[in-house]
Amino acid sequence: MLSWLESTSLAVWLQESPSIWSLPTVLTLHTAGMAVLVGASWVLDLRLLGIGRSIPLSAYRWVFPTLAIGLFVNLVTGVLLFVKNATTLGTALPFFVKMLLVVASVATLLPLRSLVIRGGSEQGEADGRARLLAIASILAWTGAVTAGRLLAYLIV
Amino acid sequence: MNLAHLHLLMNHVPTVGSVAALGVLLLAYVRRNEHLKHVGLELLFVIAVLTLPVYVSGVAAQFQLQEVPEVSRDAVMVHQDAALIGFAVIEFAGFVAWLALWQWRRHGRAGQGLVPVATVLLLLALVLMGRAATLGGEIRHPEIRAADAAGEPAGDPKRFMTSAIGQVAVYSTWVWPAAEAIHFLGLALSFGVLLAVNLRILGVMKRVSFGDVHRLLPWGMLGLGANLITGMFFFVGQPGQYATSDPFLWKVVFLVIAGANFLYLTVFGKAWPHREGAVFDAGVADKAMAVLSLSAWLAVLYAGRMLPFLGKSF
Repeated sequence: MLSWLESTSLAVWLQESPSIWSLPTVLTLHTAGMAVLVGASWVLDLRLLGIGRSIPLSAYRWVFPTLAIGLFVNLVTGVLLFVKNATTLGTALPFFVKMLLVVASVATLLPLRSLVIRGGSEQGEADGRARLLAIASILAWTGAVTAGRLLAYLIV
Repeated sequence: MNLAHLHLLMNHVPTVGSVAALGVLLLAYVRRNEHLKHVGLELLFVIAVLTLPVYVSGVAAQFQLQEVPEVSRDAVMVHQDAALIGFAVIEFAGFVAWLALWQWRRHGRAGQGLVPVATVLLLLALVLMGRAATLGGEIRHPEIRAADAAGEPAGDPKRFMTSAIGQVAVYSTWVWPAAEAIHFLGLALSFGVLLAVNLRILGVMKRVSFGDVHRLLPWGMLGLGANLITGMFFFVGQPGQYATSDPFLWKVVFLVIAGANFLYLTVFGKAWPHREGAVFDAGVADKAMAVLSLSAWLAVLYAGRMLPFLGKSF
């Protein structure tokens, strides 16, 4: 299955094409998507931890459509990057650690979303549960980005 | 014009610029003029940003001078070490100046001690940059070299700070990857903050006053600072990968634009009510600056990520 994926014409194109629109563009989009996804998540997390506490929580609604764009870009480019190196990535522990951390990060977004949409704690301090969620989100994204960057040195 | 030429043109910015900024700040103290003080801090920040292309073009010039037999490699290395120390101090001075400007915009005055600290750091930077400039001049002008320094014995090349950093970059298994991870985390943090601030200017979160979003800027600065330090580690550690690479030079150009824009985001506008609930829209010029900001940072990201593909790094 993994070696079939890696031998598809799409994978071969990513492995061998000298075009700037092949691997270079996919990698760059994955990085830009990361900046949007992780950056926007962190801005909301910082607010829940008290940075910019004078901003009403409901003003952060823009974060979620933005996150959806970043997540979509990185799912698509991430699948492409996986297909390119399916046999090495699909059997490597660091890759599964990264996937676990990404899933954990995205999982924190759902309760955070209901928190913002519900509009609880309009101004000032967020409650203890929200603060815990924010800390979990910051740590999970930090781990995911670090694991992702280290993949280049550990396996591929 | 090549990069060595650009270095000769720009290398006066850190020294002459520091004299100008220091003059404005001292005059502000003498005249007790707050507005002049503000201008001096802004000038200092701009000089700190412009010192980046001065350093980078200097390393590019070094690569061109390697083919010139009568140039002493040691003289170049001594100049480079002095320049790196001067660069570090002027960047730190620029950071303190930025912090003072941010507080000024937020509270109507700079925090106690920040402006004097920025002034003292600037004076120190001027001394160090003056030394770097003198050592740089001596590379091509042996007639200005002090008599006793002429016969300096050639020793171990690793005694130079920049070479020692290069050793760590090449031989340590974990320092480079760790710096890469921090570089990506810093990128995400600064981009997230700039996204929030610029989206507010473009009309998202209109009910939030700009003063409230402005509160986030130091976190953007934290990301930028982490990336300046890790980025300089990459550049000093493996200069051959970057100094002659076209996408890297574009990255520096966009960094200068984005850096100047960051100053604008920090200080601009009497138009923003500081703490009011009223819906408030930014002017067309401010919106144009917000678009410029996001585009410049995306261009920095693009040029950086494309280094191996548009250029020949790694």
